[in-house]
Amino acid sequence: MSHSAKGSPASEPSWGKRSDLDVLNRDIPRVDGPVKATGQAIYTHDVRLPDMLWARLLIHPVPRAEIESIDLEAASEMPGVVHIEALKESGDTVRYHGDDAVLAVVAAETPEQAADALREIRVKATSLPPVVTRAQALEDDAPVVSRRRNADANVGRANERGDAARADAALAEAVAVVERTFEIPVQHHACLETHGHVVQPAPDDEPVTVYASTQSVGGTPRGLARTLGRDASRIRVLTPHMGGGFGSKFGPGLEGALAARVANTTGRPVHLMLTRADEFAIAGNRSGSRQTLKVGADSEGRLVGLKLEADKLGGVSGGSLPGPPYIYTVADDDAVSSKIRSVHTATDGSRAMRAPGHPQASFAMEAAVDELAYLLGMDLVEMRIRNLESDVHHRQLRRVAEEIGWAEHPHRDRPGTAVNGRAVGIGFGVSVWGPGGRSSRCDVTVRPDGSVVSATATQDLGTGARTYVAAIVAEELGLTVDMVEARIGDSDLPPSVTSGGSVTTGSSAPAIKDAAHKAREALEALVADVLGAPVGSYSWKGGRVSVRGDASRSLPWIAVCALLREPLVAQGEFRDFLHEGRIHGAQAARVEVDTLTGRVKVLKMVTCQDQGLPLNRLALRSQINGGMIQALSYGLLEQRVFDEQDGFLLSDTLDLYKLAGAQEIPEMVALIDDEDERPSVCGMAEAPVIPGHSAIAGAIHNACGARLTRMPFTADNVLETLYGKI
Amino acid sequence: MREMDLPPDDLSAISRRSFLKGATQVAAAGGLMGASAPQDAAEPPALAEVETLSGSSAMELSVNGTVQSVEIEPRTTLLSALRTHMDPPLTGTKEVCGTGSCGACTVLIDGQPAYSCLTLAATCSGRPVTTVEGFGSPDAMSDVQQAFCDKDGMMCGFCTPGFVVATHAALERSPGADLDELKYELSGNLCRCGTYPHVFDAAQAVQQDRARGGEGR
Repeated sequence: MSHSAKGSPASEPSWGKRSDLDVLNRDIPRVDGPVKATGQAIYTHDVRLPDMLWARLLIHPVPRAEIESIDLEAASEMPGVVHIEALKESGDTVRYHGDDAVLAVVAAETPEQAADALREIRVKATSLPPVVTRAQALEDDAPVVSRRRNADANVGRANERGDAARADAALAEAVAVVERTFEIPVQHHACLETHGHVVQPAPDDEPVTVYASTQSVGGTPRGLARTLGRDASRIRVLTPHMGGGFGSKFGPGLEGALAARVANTTGRPVHLMLTRADEFAIAGNRSGSRQTLKVGADSEGRLVGLKLEADKLGGVSGGSLPGPPYIYTVADDDAVSSKIRSVHTATDGSRAMRAPGHPQASFAMEAAVDELAYLLGMDLVEMRIRNLESDVHHRQLRRVAEEIGWAEHPHRDRPGTAVNGRAVGIGFGVSVWGPGGRSSRCDVTVRPDGSVVSATATQDLGTGARTYVAAIVAEELGLTVDMVEARIGDSDLPPSVTSGGSVTTGSSAPAIKDAAHKAREALEALVADVLGAPVGSYSWKGGRVSVRGDASRSLPWIAVCALLREPLVAQGEFRDFLHEGRIHGAQAARVEVDTLTGRVKVLKMVTCQDQGLPLNRLALRSQINGGMIQALSYGLLEQRVFDEQDGFLLSDTLDLYKLAGAQEIPEMVALIDDEDERPSVCGMAEAPVIPGHSAIAGAIHNACGARLTRMPFTADNVLETLYGKI
Repeated sequence: MREMDLPPDDLSAISRRSFLKGATQVAAAGGLMGASAPQDAAEPPALAEVETLSGSSAMELSVNGTVQSVEIEPRTTLLSALRTHMDPPLTGTKEVCGTGSCGACTVLIDGQPAYSCLTLAATCSGRPVTTVEGFGSPDAMSDVQQAFCDKDGMMCGFCTPGFVVATHAALERSPGADLDELKYELSGNLCRCGTYPHVFDAAQAVQQDRARGGEGR
């Protein structure tokens, strides 16, 4: 039995005036900081269960092959091997590098024994032409590797929009026209915790427990139900902590299904985490693209016509690219035409990755805007403001321009030139995102002893979600964050959303607020008997409740809770009016280019970002920084590389697939756009990753006149662009 | 390193004896792996005479001030020993790349930072190892750990233990490092979320606190 906080509330929840907030819109150290900083936080990788088996996958090293035989005999006799099975048999084909290339799974008593057994599996296979590049996929006699039904080529049906003739006519009348072809490589998510699960089997009458490194603790039971042969309601998924997802960890994947199957078969807990090489091979990626973009402007700098032809390179998946014009406005909608198609290669399918498709579109569009400004002799910021509809973008661009030192910059309407082989430039980019919000629930429990629990089946990918699950309740009840226990990462808790597309905050925060508000009103109904004022006329601050306007009539928190005879449970739901999901950002980058060596050094990056009410300014700034850094890394370093002749993935270690490290990090300024006073919340993680590499490319161009049309911006790329073939 | 003289095809025949002589002289002095530790390191025995051993043996590891006997093989890495062979397992030290590229597995050995994924556990006998758990606990954090919390020097947190250990080592080696020097010192560690600026903030906060006479716990 418990008090229930039902019935019609006396008032609707609200985020309140910002000046009244004691907890939110401040720097809140994350509540799981101490366990993370001391190594006590348990990730799926770290789960250790009695009698647990260690499982490993054998992945075929080339994308396409005919299997003659997979001989498990020697491997099965290796010490410690408990389970071994082949996933392909004689006559089967490996169709692409990815989950289809998983040939076998081994489970043994120790990780070393599993690795040893893997090496003893004898595979006889004949390699087929690899089809790992766009060019290979488009050859006349290319093998068809597309998985589309009845595919007779590796090209998907083109999505054509607009009228090409109208666009051509508008471009013919434009004062300035730029046309470029951009090539963007495939990027990996490179989550530091690889994908994987620990599955603990159970008798039919008990729930199976699955630890999962997932962005969807609530969706994972459904994803494993069939493999485990039981209803999703009898599968409990736990994600106490997880080491990064970035869009790649929505479902259990083949690795999750195999962990479940081996656990079912052996009756023992199974630990199956991908190795780093496995992760590069089968855990998804951001699609590449090849875009030919032609844009024209009138003498005032207004965009008047645009044509885009683009190939999305998502391997066996479709890839992502939003239609043009990207963010910027072309005066006449009818003067925009596009033809976007997927070109399929025999490589791992792309997955969602932080703002899917948007950084790719940004790279081409921001380049066109820069070049048109230079053709017209126009300031880069002014050119942008003329072609962006939103006032928010205008003020944000001015803000980042000021922070980066634009007014003092010597060449704002033309590229500069190098002095003694050194050139400094500044570039810009903008972002938008629509994070949305959807159904989510939260339970807030207040106990007679004063303890508070806020519980919802969300997951913290590193965003700080766990912290606001507590902080929102603390704000509403006038408590400190440490007085509220946040419970997340458990599929048995009240359901919340899959964390993708920045929807988590916009969905779960309103439900938490609603639950906290209901708890507050239920407590006020009890307090009313003591303090005499009706529900809705109390102030909850500093661990006390007092009658608003009469501080002498008050009770400390512990006395309020003592009025409860049993725990109070308030059930909150998503409230649409507590979220709003349209956000904007602007970025600027300052770089130095060494025109003798081609080396690019980013000196400073600035972002101004809106998102409604900032729940936790400390975590927010860090996430903005993180977006800039991932974009910097994408622009300067990251590139998946296949051996085109035989199809081996060459970039399958963190030595060969480069991520930005400490020495690449410039001065970084994350500005929270406090002119955005919307009384709503939403997530924002996608937006700051969108334009950073575009701003860096623009800064390189502004520094020395080299317009890079290929990523990453390596030294050879810079030199070739400056001086031609090297 | 005598075993390196072997032709590649014979690598599997590396005996425990030649391995010990070649790779772990420091450790051997500590009585590595029981009674059959080599007595005379002077003459390498001919290959044909060497007894080839495999499988696990007991050795003592000194981790965070506690000596524990663990069953390991000669090829067991320190990272694997910590994460899968200790009782209870010490899982704070993370495995991310396995190739010495990312620093998530950083520990101190003899007070010096090292990648535990590239270190054979057998070489650590008699040498004190400090992992992230050895610097503090949630209720009694080191100054570096506290600063990582205060400055939010973490997002997903998977790189954090490595950064905490690396930051302790960096501030030990270069207490007055400026920002560029700190970046150099921490360049052996990767973070995918992009938390670096707050990690630098944390390191600088510790520097300032220690310079003011705060106790480096």
